[in-house]
Order: sequence, then structure tokens, then C-alpha cells
Amino acid sequence: MARLPIGRILFIGLYLLFVLVPLYWMFITSIKPSDDYLAVPPIWVPKQPTLVHYSAALFAYRGLQGLINSLIISLSATALSALFGTLMAYSFARFNTGGKHLAFWVLSQRFLPPVAVVLPIFLIYRILGLHDTYFGMIIAYTVFTLPVSVWMMFAYFRGIPKSMEEAALVDGCSRWMSFRKIALPLAIPGIVAAAIFAFIACWTEFFFALILTSRYTFTLPTVFRAFLGFQGAQYGEASALAIVSLVPSIILGTLVQKHLVRGLTLGAVRG
Amino acid sequence: MTTVKITRLEKEYRGVRALRGVDLDIADGEFVVLVGPSGCGKSTLLRMIAGLEDITGGTIAIDGDIVNDMQPRDRNVAMVFQDYALYPHMTVEENIGFALRAKKIPEKEIAKRVDATTRMLGIEALLKRYPRQLSGGQRQRVAIGRAIIREARLFLFDEPLSNLDAQLRDDMRAEIKRLHQELGRTMIYVTHDQIEAMTLADRIVLLRDGIIEQQGSPLNLYERPASKFVAGFLGSPKMNFIPGTITGREIKLGGGTKLPLPPHFKNAKHKDVIVGLRPQHITVAGKKAAGGHVHVPVTIELVQPTGSRSHVTFPLGGIAALAEVNVHDVTQPGEKVTLDINMNRAVLIDPQTEKVIWN
Amino acid sequence: MAQVGNMKQAGSLSRLEALSEWSDRHFKWLLVVPAVVLILALSVYPLLFSIWVLFVNYDFQIPGHAFVGLKNFQQVLVDPVARWSLWLTIALSVTNVAIEFLLGLALALTMVKTFRGRGLVMSIIIVPLFISPVIVGQAWTLLLQRPFGPTNYLLGLLTGHEVAIGWLTESPWLYFSLIIADVWQWTPFMFVILLAGLTSIPPNLYEAAEIDGVGDWQVFRRITLPFLGPMITLAITFRLLDAIKLFDTIFIMTGGGPGTKTYTSSFYLYTVGFTQFHLSQATAGSWIFLALTIVVVTALVRKLLEVDQS
Repeated sequence: MARLPIGRILFIGLYLLFVLVPLYWMFITSIKPSDDYLAVPPIWVPKQPTLVHYSAALFAYRGLQGLINSLIISLSATALSALFGTLMAYSFARFNTGGKHLAFWVLSQRFLPPVAVVLPIFLIYRILGLHDTYFGMIIAYTVFTLPVSVWMMFAYFRGIPKSMEEAALVDGCSRWMSFRKIALPLAIPGIVAAAIFAFIACWTEFFFALILTSRYTFTLPTVFRAFLGFQGAQYGEASALAIVSLVPSIILGTLVQKHLVRGLTLGAVRG
Repeated sequence: MTTVKITRLEKEYRGVRALRGVDLDIADGEFVVLVGPSGCGKSTLLRMIAGLEDITGGTIAIDGDIVNDMQPRDRNVAMVFQDYALYPHMTVEENIGFALRAKKIPEKEIAKRVDATTRMLGIEALLKRYPRQLSGGQRQRVAIGRAIIREARLFLFDEPLSNLDAQLRDDMRAEIKRLHQELGRTMIYVTHDQIEAMTLADRIVLLRDGIIEQQGSPLNLYERPASKFVAGFLGSPKMNFIPGTITGREIKLGGGTKLPLPPHFKNAKHKDVIVGLRPQHITVAGKKAAGGHVHVPVTIELVQPTGSRSHVTFPLGGIAALAEVNVHDVTQPGEKVTLDINMNRAVLIDPQTEKVIWN
Repeated sequence: MAQVGNMKQAGSLSRLEALSEWSDRHFKWLLVVPAVVLILALSVYPLLFSIWVLFVNYDFQIPGHAFVGLKNFQQVLVDPVARWSLWLTIALSVTNVAIEFLLGLALALTMVKTFRGRGLVMSIIIVPLFISPVIVGQAWTLLLQRPFGPTNYLLGLLTGHEVAIGWLTESPWLYFSLIIADVWQWTPFMFVILLAGLTSIPPNLYEAAEIDGVGDWQVFRRITLPFLGPMITLAITFRLLDAIKLFDTIFIMTGGGPGTKTYTSSFYLYTVGFTQFHLSQATAGSWIFLALTIVVVTALVRKLLEVDQS
């Protein structure tokens, strides 16, 4: 263990402050009584914390509905994305299916500007009656998270030695059985990590949700629209909702810290 | 009765021809070792027999049936892999019984066979352990157990001992030999180690660049190699190759040394020749040179003792030759010694074709 | 003894066996079918559909879908806001990525060696990556918005005289706010990747340099940087491609305003398409935007695949 020079400690300390201050302020705001908002000097530790903003955010501003919708949509999309992504990744890893071209196509989906895709999807959904439906959002989010799922699992499957599955084949397994009994059980940690990444991506997504949802299936991030533009009254509610939203994704994110680099770079870099 | 017949087998992979027309007949109960340098195609050949690689050309027949398009699981072969390929999420018992469970054999039968197999290999105490808790040698035994429990008709080994340390390798080699004697099945074994090949094989198949360079019993290949490559590949330490010229009944080496032509060698058609001498056939000279032997005075450059023997290096005919002598006969570099070369066992090689000349 | 299945007896297999045989042979294709179908349905088909939209008049304010040729493209190209938003997008993205890179690199260099509490520090540093950009925008709005945010007060304390800046309304402070929010969220991205790169450099290279008496700066220039090179390119390109899509924080923090001062390309297209409902025009604009990024995307994806093969 090295002792860091003082300059570096200072630098890290300042950066940590940089990270934590906005979060702290937001947390404080969520439990501050409204009267304290415009106090000068600004209050950093409220004397009479209150939860009234939380209930307002969840109920008056329909934050709870947004939360439930986000949960339904994110969980479903995550499950589908993890499932289909794992299957495709295995196919890529073991059989190099479709060679470079298929892989390229799937990977490049990650970089499509959402605006180019959401415009026609919006029109198509309206025609098909899929606008503002769970189904519509779920399949959209599944496609949205597929590239990362595929790529994380691909890197993961490549780490499992081929010889194990070859032994299973020689011993009497079909390809499907070898996948189910050998590769899949060994891939579970990777699948969990990929699923968590997909969930966080769905949970925090805004643009698609803004365009493709409305009264019924609006997601949690879109609720923040309600706090736009006004001064004063909504600060507490906005903060409360923000805290409610970010706590689960931070917890999940910390769990998959180990896989972070792989998830961010689509498996190109090992963490 | 399990025979394997390979006819004109070809394998092309990404533009590289890994196998370029291999013909091989393996008899029932034979222990055949495929040996050769890296990239010679031995592993590829084995994997094609197992069904893990596609066949580009030619046929493989097991027991008379052509198996080219048959899935591995239908071929009834068992395979032991270099990295053991044990399933890490299963216990030893589950690993060994895996194939039987896949075939839906009743549990009682499985238990019986697992018991018999593990006893044969001495690993019955490890049944509940996981592969990560086992030593290299134990894992190897489990891998072998997994193969033999199936009572398959053909056993394939893909460099199974490469990952073991030297001491363990010696022990396991003996075990595999004993296994073959007990089970009597047809076995095909791949290795790059010529010692394993020599000790285990009924027949050695030496591969090079995708074709069979020579095949035959170990002794046959050792004493009557067909080419410089075979002569140099088998035998440790490696055979010495010294260029020379034949004049009359003598071979003149660079530096003036003259060696007599081996007595069995009649025809003197060749002029330029490479003399192949195994280090074991060069010893410290006694009183008189026997028939076919010659005494040569040399100055020893390097002495490398190996226990009861010593590898000594000395200049001969322009190259650094090596002889295996008794450790007490030569002790110091710089010593001047007279060496006895047994030309009866020498091999003459045509420098152009690199083939051994036998007449 | 176990039977040996023989392909020549295919005719006698039951239907179930034949099906399982077929699916085994085509296993690898069957595995990719669900994903491919989804991507075709939700990416390829919409894009093809949008090509049609490009050349007709799809506008909620004007009835019918008359064919209009290249008019939609024209409208976008002459629109000064479109050009302004493109310029702003580039300026903001480049600035954001540059700052994130330098800050991330500095952070990574400091964190390479292990020290007590390093794990905890790491966990805190990466937190912003898991927060919705909308919430990041919200958090910084709370800090910066007058009169509620403490920023002006704190700056006043630091500088000694009163600070009354409209961080979300006055230019150029406006842009600082957007930049700082983006930097806050995405610096960890660079940090994590660069740290992974730094820790993968074999330590004996540094040891050899130390024994040879090579100075710190030289070590950085001649060992660290070359090794990091490919990683740096990867990280910057990745991040840049995401940075140009900047929308969420703009939406929450400034709403594009005042006026169109903080219109990024995505926000501009959003406005045209979903507040004015000139959908064809928006589509034309988004295709132009797409075309501009395709070259970079193709290069990056190709690079990613190469890295994978090795």
C-alpha cells in the first residue's frame, strides 16, 4: 500500500467533493421544508426535515405511477434483452455466425442517434396503436439494450474454454444440451451483470420515453417534465423524486462495478 | 473390434492446408501415437476423428462405417483433453457420470460404474470434490475416468500430459500404458513429446506439415528412420548430423577426420552425404576398435553431467557434436580424449533429398 | 453397447428426432433469430420507413402525404437554427470530451496505485454513471438556479463581492452550466477506461525504467502514453459519439433557451418534429445528422471488432 503525496490526496478529495456536493444538496432539498428554500445563507443542514415532498412527488405528481411503469418496462425489457442477447452472443462466440457483417450490424445499433430512429418509430407506433403501450416500450427498450447485452456476453463466453463443451459433445450432448448444461450455468455471473447494465440503461432512459409514452405508460424520468420552468414550489418534489430514482440504480451499479469497463466499452476492454 | 481407416484425409482452414492427404489404418486394440512438431496437424487429425472439426476431403471410417457427417455424440468415441476440460460447476462424481446421465441410464447403474471406474484410477475418495479442489494429477485421472466409464469403442487422447510437471508426467505415462493393457481398447494418442511416443506406442505415426513422414513401431522408427527429420526427431539427445564426402570406403569430414563407411553400406553412388550419429553410439574408446568402429581423438569443449551419464560436446567435421558417455570418463572441458564411434549404427543421409540411404 | 447412429438411415427417424436433428444442425442460426427479428423490426424497418417520410410531406399541421422531392432537406439546410445547433453541438461535444478526458486521465493516474480506502473512492467516483441524465440536469439546476441555488452565495464568499450570475439564463454562463453537468456525469467514463488501460501496463516496464534511472515525465511519454494510445482513441471516440446526442440535460436545465441559444442538434430536431410536428423536416434533419456521424461510427465499430479478434 502506497502513501499518496499530499497533492494527490488534495486532488482526489476535491474531486470527491465535486461528486458528492450536488448529490448532497439534492438530498437536502428533498427533506427541507419549503420555507427554508430561499434562506440566505443557504441551509445545509435542515433543522426540521420533512417527508412531505416525497409523498407529493409520488402521488400528486404521479411519481409512483412513473416508478411502477419504469419497473414494469425495465424489468421486461431487461429479461428479453438478456435472453436474446445471451443466445446471440453464444452463437457469435462459438460459431462466428454471420461473420464480421452480422456482428458489425448488431454492434453499430449502439451508436445510432436516437433521434433518427425515434421519429419513424413514433409514426409507426401511432399507426399500429402501439404508442403509449407497455408492449411498445418494452420491445423498443429491448432493442435499445441488445447491443450491450450481446457484446458483454460475447466477451464472457469467449472466456469459457471450448474444450469443456467439446468434452460434452463427445460424451453425448447435442449442441443445445451442451449450451444448456455446460455453457449457460457457467455464464450466469455474466448474464447477471449484463442484465443489471441493461436495467440501468432502461431505468435512466429519457428521450425514447419522452416521445413514445404519454398518459398511461410514462416512465420515471419523464415525470421530471412536470418540474420544468417553475421557480420555487417544485424543488422539493423534484429532489425527492430524483433521490427515489437514483438510489436503486446506484446500488445496482455498485454491484457490477467489476464489469463496468466491459459494459461501457462493449467488451472491447477487459476491466 | 474397433478399427479406424483414414483415407486421403484433407483439412483446409482459412486458406491453410492443415492436412494434405493422410492415409492411416489402425487395427483393433492398437495404441497409436500421433507425434510431430507444432503445427504438423496431429491434433487436427485427432479432432477430425472425434467429429470436432469438419472434413475438407477424404474419409474417416470407424469399424467400416464412414463417419464424415456423423455428430461427435453418435460416434461412440471417448476423448481426454489437454486441459482436462472438467466441468467446474460439477463434482467429480457428476463429471464422471455426466455422459451416462445424458444417455438416461438408471442411477443405480451409474453409481455402480462410477464406483468401479474411480477405484480403478484410485480416486474414489474424491467423488464429492470440485475440480478446483484437485491437483493436476487428480484432475487428469478424473478426465480419464470420464472417458473410460462410457466403455466407448475408441479412445482419443489430445496431449493429456502436457500440463503436468515432469515427475507427474512419468507416473501418468505408466498409468496410461497400464490402462491400455487392462482395457485392450483401440487408443489414439497425440503428443509432441517423443519420449511419450516411444514408451507408449504400439505404432508411431510421425506427422510433418500435414502428411505422414513415417509410421511404424518405435524401435523401427528409431533404428531405421526414413529421413533426416525422423532420425532427428526421435531419440534424446538429438542425433548428430555431420556433412562429409564419400571417397572409396571412407567418409571424409571437414577438418580431416576420416570415418569408415558402415559395413552394410554397399553402393558408393553418392558423393556428398550427411552422417547421422546418435550420441549413445559415441563412447570413450577402450583398447581396440571393434569391427565397424573407429577411434577418433577429440578435445572436449563442454561437459554437462546428467547423473550417471554426461553429455560432452566436441568439434567434429565442422559442427559441435555431442556424445553421451559415462560421467566419470570425462570430467573437464579441454580434456583430450579418444572416442569410439560405432559406425554400424550410423545413418547416411542424402543432403539433397534429406532421405536416409539404406543400401 | 451404445448404438451408432448412421446418417444413411435418416428415413427411419421419427419426426421428433428429425426436428431435433435439423435444429442441431442449424443451431447457430436459430440462436440469433430472435435478436435479428427484433432489430429488423425496430431499427431497419423504421429507418426504411423514414426514407419514405423524407420525400413526402408528413406534417401534422398540413394534411396529406404529398411527394415533395428534396424540399424537406432544403428546409433544414436553410434554417439558421439548424446550422447554429450543429455548430453548438460540435463545440459543446468537443469541449465536454476534452475536459472529461483530461480530468479522467488525471484521476486515473492518481488512482493507479492501491491505497487505503481506494475501493470506496472508486465506488463514489463512478456513481454519476448510473444516474439518469435528466436527474443530473435536475441536480445541477438545483445548485445553479437563481435564487434558490447556493452557487452564487458560495462564489460570493470565495471572491469577496456579490455574485449575481444567471447560470441558466445568461450567456456565456449558460454553457458553463451545461458543460459542468456533462463533465460531472461522464468524467468517470473516461476515468474507468483509462484506469483499466493503466493497470494493464506490465509493472516490470516501470521497474526496468526505474532501474535505468528514467525520469517521471519521460516514463509517461515513452511508456505510459504509447501503451494507452489505442485505449485513448477508443474512449474518446466512444464518448464523442454519445456526446453529440446531447439532449436530456438541455431539456431539463435550459429547455433550449433562452430562445434557441442552447439548441443542440438533437434538441432542434426534437422541437421541429415534436413541438411543431414538421415530421418530414425533422426526419430530413436527422438523416443529415446520421450521415455526418456514419463515417465515425463505422470506423469505431470496425476498430472494436478488430480489438475483439485479437
